Order: sequence, then C-alpha cells, then structure tokens
Amino acid sequence: MNSRSRRGFARLGLGGAAALTADLANAQTAAPKRGGTLVHAQLSANRRAADASNAKHPYFIVDANTRLQWNCLTWVNEKLEWEYELATKLEPTDDKMNVWDVTIREGVMFHNGREMTAADVASSFAYHRLNAPFARQIIKIEALSKYVARFTLDGGNSEFAFILAEYNSVIMPAGDLKTIGFDGIGTGPFRIVSTDPNRSLIMERFEGYWRKGFPYLDRVECHNREGQQEAALNGLRAGQFDAVLSIDPRAVQQFQSDTAYDIETAKGGYHFVVQLPKHPGSPFLDKRIRQAFAYAIDREAIVRIAYSGKYGWVGNDSHLVITDPNFVPRPGGRDVAKAKKLLADAGYPNGITLSPLYFSPPLPEVPRYFQVLQQSVKEAGFNMPIEERPNDGYIQFRQGENDVALGKYHKFAMTAVGSRNPGISLYRMRYEYVESGHWSGPEHDQYIKLYNEAMITRDAGKRKSVYAQMQAILHEEVPVVLPAGGDTFLIKRKNIRNMPFHPQIWSIRLDETWKA
Amino acid sequence: MLSAVLRRLALSLVTLLMLATYVFVATEILPGDALDVSLSADELSMMPPARLAQMKRELGLDRPAPERFLAFLGGVTQLDFGRTLISKTPVIDIVAFPLRNSLILGGAVLVAAIPLALFVGIVSAYWFRRATDTIISSAAIIGYSVPEFVIGTVLVILFAVAWPLFPATITANTKDPALALLAASPLPVATILIGSIAYLGRVLRVGMVEALATDFVERLRLTGVPEWRIVFLHALPAAVIPSLTAMALYAAALVSGIVVVELVFSYPGLGQELLRAVTRREVHVIQAFALLSAGLVVLFNLLADLAILALDARTRQS
Repeated sequence: MNSRSRRGFARLGLGGAAALTADLANAQTAAPKRGGTLVHAQLSANRRAADASNAKHPYFIVDANTRLQWNCLTWVNEKLEWEYELATKLEPTDDKMNVWDVTIREGVMFHNGREMTAADVASSFAYHRLNAPFARQIIKIEALSKYVARFTLDGGNSEFAFILAEYNSVIMPAGDLKTIGFDGIGTGPFRIVSTDPNRSLIMERFEGYWRKGFPYLDRVECHNREGQQEAALNGLRAGQFDAVLSIDPRAVQQFQSDTAYDIETAKGGYHFVVQLPKHPGSPFLDKRIRQAFAYAIDREAIVRIAYSGKYGWVGNDSHLVITDPNFVPRPGGRDVAKAKKLLADAGYPNGITLSPLYFSPPLPEVPRYFQVLQQSVKEAGFNMPIEERPNDGYIQFRQGENDVALGKYHKFAMTAVGSRNPGISLYRMRYEYVESGHWSGPEHDQYIKLYNEAMITRDAGKRKSVYAQMQAILHEEVPVVLPAGGDTFLIKRKNIRNMPFHPQIWSIRLDETWKA
Repeated sequence: MLSAVLRRLALSLVTLLMLATYVFVATEILPGDALDVSLSADELSMMPPARLAQMKRELGLDRPAPERFLAFLGGVTQLDFGRTLISKTPVIDIVAFPLRNSLILGGAVLVAAIPLALFVGIVSAYWFRRATDTIISSAAIIGYSVPEFVIGTVLVILFAVAWPLFPATITANTKDPALALLAASPLPVATILIGSIAYLGRVLRVGMVEALATDFVERLRLTGVPEWRIVFLHALPAAVIPSLTAMALYAAALVSGIVVVELVFSYPGLGQELLRAVTRREVHVIQAFALLSAGLVVLFNLLADLAILALDARTRQS
C-alpha cells in the first residue's frame, strides 16, 4: 500500500499536479476533441435519499458525480494510491502524525466565481466531521493563512491523505452548518444546471476550472436507472446513452463480443459486510456461532453465481479488497461439518433460526449474492430469512435505533463496502462503528492497539505486517463476515474516449473524457 | 335532469367517503404500523417502552384511530396526505407531478385510442363474420392478451434498437412540460395504445353488432336511408351509449394500470413513485395513490353517467 515518508509527502507536494495530470492522460494519446455531451446511465447507488430540497448537496447525489461538481484536497487513483487534488502539500507537523498541515492550490475558483481559501476548507470540514464517519477523527480544523489549513486528529494517522479524498470530504464554499453544500457549488469541472431528484442530474462545463484546458466535454447528463438495467442497456443500444455505469457481470458477458462497445473494468470493486449484531440477546454474541456462520458460507458459489466466476473474489472477513497487497486470505475454506459442530457446541445441535438479514441492491448482482448466501448457510443449519430493502433510505434503516442504552443495537444487515486503503478499511472494525457489529472484548482491544501502532508507523512494509496480525484476529474472532466481492464495470460506446472506470466510484473523473 | 345530476354527484361523494374510509381501515389493519418502516421486529421487541411511546407520539400513532381518521379525512379534502416517513416531504409534492405525467400519458392514449377503436369497432361490426371482422377480431384478441411489458419490449427492439426512430428509455424530467414528455414517449403511448384499441374496439363492436341488427335499422334500410347515415347517425349513437360506462372504467383503470409500462420505459409517472413508495413502505404515499386512483374511477364514472344522461332521453326520464 501507499507508504509516504515525510520527505515523500513534500516531494509529492511539488509534483502532485503533474502526477495527477499524467495519470489522467495515460489512456489515449489521440488528439482529444472538445465539445459534445456525454449522456450516461447510472445503475449503482450508495447515497441517502435525494429530494427537491437536497438534490444538489454532495451527500445526496449518486457517487459517480462526486468528482464532476466537486474536488477534494486529495484524490485516490485507479491503483488506490493517493495524489494531490486541491492540495499542493500535505504533511504532519511531527512524528505523532495527529496534526497535519495542508497547503491548498492558489487560484482555484468555485462555480460562483469566488476563490477557494483555507477558510472554505475549514468550514467544509467543520461540516464533514459532524456528518461523515471517516472525518470524525478530526477534532479541530483551522485556517492558518489564506492557503494553509491545519487538521488536528484524535490520534495519529499515517494514511490521513486518504481520508481527505473521501466522497464526504469535498470542498464547498464556506457557510454555516445548516446551509453549507445545499447550493451544489463546488470547484469541479462541471457545474449543476438542473436536477430531478432520484432521476437525473444535468451539468455543464465550468469555464473557470482550475485544471486549465479541461474538461473536454461541454455537458454531462447523468440518468439514474437503479434497478432498471434493461432500460439503461436499451438506452445504450438505441444510442440515447453513451455509457452505462456499474453493469451486472452477466451483462458484461453479453456485450463482450459486441464490437460497438468497450467495457472498462475496475478491479476490486465492491464487496459486502454482513453485520452480526452483538447486542444483549443476539446469538452472535457467541463467537462459536459467528465462526460457524463464516464456515457455513459457500463463498466460491457466490463468486460463481453472482459474479460469473471470473469477475468475483473470495473475501477474508475484513474490509480489505483482494487487489490490496495487504490482503491476507482467510485460512481454510468452507467447512459445513465444522460449522455444524460449532453450532452444536453453542447449544444448537438442530440448527438455529436467525432474524431476517436485510440487504439493499446497490448493484444489479446483489440479489443473487444474498440468495446464494442464504442457501449455503442453510446446509449447516442456519435458517436465515432474507429481506430486500430499497437503496433509498437504506443507510438510516440498517443502522436502526443505535442507542447505547440498548447495547449498541443495530440490524442484522448488509452494507456495501468500496475499495479503500487499509487504514480506513481496517478501522471500520472498531467497536464504535456500526459495521463492526459493535464488536468488543480483549481481542478487539488488541486489534485496536495494533491499528494505533500502524497509524504511527511510516514504513509501509512494517505496517503490512501489523495489518496481517489484525486480519488474523478477524479470522479467529469473526466480528462480521465479508464473504465475497466483485469487479465493477462500465460499458461505453466506442466513440467515448478516456473514460476509465474506478474501483472507488466516487473517484471517477471525466476531466479528460472526450467524444470522437 | 338537474335532480339526476345532483343525485349522481351526491352518490359520487358518498362513494369517495367510503373509499377514503376503506383506504384508511385497510392500512390500519395491516400488520404493524408506520414504525415498521424503520424498525425490525427484534428491534421493536427490545426497545424500552418509553422510547417506543415517544416514537409513536412523533408519528401521531398514539392517538385513537377515529381521531386519526378524522384528521386523515380533513387532510384529504385539502389534498394534504401528510408527510413521508423517511424524508418528511409533503406527500402531495411527491405525487403531484407523477400523477400529472401519468394523466398526460393516459390522456394521449385515450385521445388516439377512442377514434381508432371506433373505426375498428365499426368496420368489424359492419362486416360482421366476414374476413375483415375475423382478421380484426383475431388481432384484437392478440393485442389485448399479450402483456404490455412484452409489447413494449418488442417495440423497443424494433423501433429503438434495430431501427432507431424513437427513444428506448425516457430521459425527460419529472417537471418537464407536457409536450416535451409526449415527444419523448411515442413508444410508451404505442404500447398502451395497442391494448386499448383492442379492448375498446371489442366493446364497441359488440354494441354496433347489436345496433345494426335491430328492427329499427332494418326499417331504415327498407326506407332507403343511405348506409353511412344508418351507421354513423343511427347505429353508432345507440352503440356508444351502453359502451360509455365500460370506456369510462377503462379510462380510469388506464391511469393506474400503466405502472408496468412506465417502469419499462422509465417514464416519470405514478409507476416509478408507487414502486418506490411500496418498497420504502411509505404508508402515506400509498394511501394517496390508492385514493387518487379510486377517485379517478369515481370521476370517470360520474362523467360517463352525465354523458349518458345528456345523450339518452330514456335514462333522463327514468
């Protein structure tokens, strides 16, 4: 994974913009053409419900549009390495790595014609730290000068640069906490022309974009077609759409031999956490039941059926994706006999009936995924109803009435997980975070101790060995299961150039996309 | 005449009141309540009673059912269906434009379907049991039997993909002007139109066959009245009057029944919103849909009754 020494950070500070430009420009060398409208349909959804009052806010749009209207201080490229975006320099003030100074790019204009300053950064993160889980570690944010801001964290974080690239880390014009972000104004290459909540977002080129000469396109139209893949693909076939994002792996097979289209793959893509509740009375309080559940799942079958085999990968019950060099495979495969014995030892020799497992389909293949999961655990004695819920409002639904007085209650539910650096990924298993199922105990404490050690370790090689120890704890403890994941795909017409897909859908950029 | 009109208006109001009662009771007796939108069964089972009571109070579920029904009824009369449970948006804001769009789509279909169905019904009845009638009747049965999503998909394959004349999916926005929506919707209109012509044509054919077989028409023929006058001025009015109620019911059902077609084409009508409301268990939105759909049936029935009153002297006298 990315290992940046302090000197390395400074060096990247000088060359950050150049690196960003070079990375974005490497796909096609033919002379780009300016102008035109890119019309695309979007099948995936990872957002809260949008309505007329908030459809321009970065927290309520579909992720694929994040980098169109807004920018962050940093950006994560397709190889999951970070680069500078609105920042030109980012470094910790000392070896504790809990205080970070960021120098921002000068002359960056918002869509409203005002220059971005460190005050905007401070104001944006004052909002993010209250509303975005990844930003909660920021305890203080201040503007030191017009172009320098300081972040104070609740602990060291050697991978802080990745936090600044998150979809809920965009820079917005300064405002009060109640109104900031609702005007849809950002620094991105396109600005919002109109929105139709849950349906479409129309954008046009922002002439004052800080990357001079970009974007190439005049206009981008995004049409939301969640759960309507056939309508989206019909639109593509009929020439209405230039591209469709996040298509089902089965559709990839259908289109692979069709010379009219290109398919772009994002390796790693998405996977899914099954949160195992550990509130008082939950069967998952017993580690043996969690282990039995992990052994019962036929992960290979999920890969085979949900991802057509070659487009999926077996998860290791951590939030890491298989493309991450820190990923350690879970030892042993499926073992139904062992699962049954663990269940019997836990007092369920005749099997156990679980409460319904809730899931939402942020990608078209997800219903298949959970049907296979349900069937495979049944063989080991887990009678587990599954219930599909809509994407709209799912985040609020699955978190439930998360009241400490109830023992950190949450639902037995799935949530989608995007590809991220190990620092962010492994921190999601902390007690406080709902995705860990509020896992606690001495093993958890040891896990967090190792995490804290990694976060103040500059050397990536050393961090990797710490991350391996952390994953070993997860394999034994099984706080949650992450059975399998898959690559994600976009399909586009041949005349659309330089439109690579990204394992982090919120990091897709269309700056250099053009239409031949 | 006036008393007959007033009687039907009063009957329609009573029907609407009964419908509102039915919708309220139906959503009341379903298992669970609005809390189920955000809470699962085990969540409810372990929640402290005080917290549950507070949540019920926030949703107005702590009040007795009759009191809530009166509040519901009072709201309905002002087109206030409450707010959504998740986003707290006024339900009417969610329903208004999709309803308008579905009415536009249904209206366009009716405007085209009625004259075409008249033509089909007249031709088929005039050449009753001849080759023309057999061909038209067979086509009508096929058109009426094949599900609309199949017709829609076939039309997309033919006229959007193989021969790209029309859009395969609607990219117009929810609040776009009616003409913009219609311009983007030839295939959804055609999809519903096929079934509509088939059904209405069959209804009119039956009426026309009966009218053309009456002694009255026979007498007209014997007195030398031209055929076109017999068909259009004598038989057709007699055939249309009994068909009006069926046509009115069909028109009402059209608006609430085009859900599937709207989903096939991503048309921004009631279908999309209804699906979203059902999957999100937005009880108030579903209540609004049920009431508006039922209201349309009552309205179209009333219009049909009034039309019959205007056209048929016997009904007026009775």
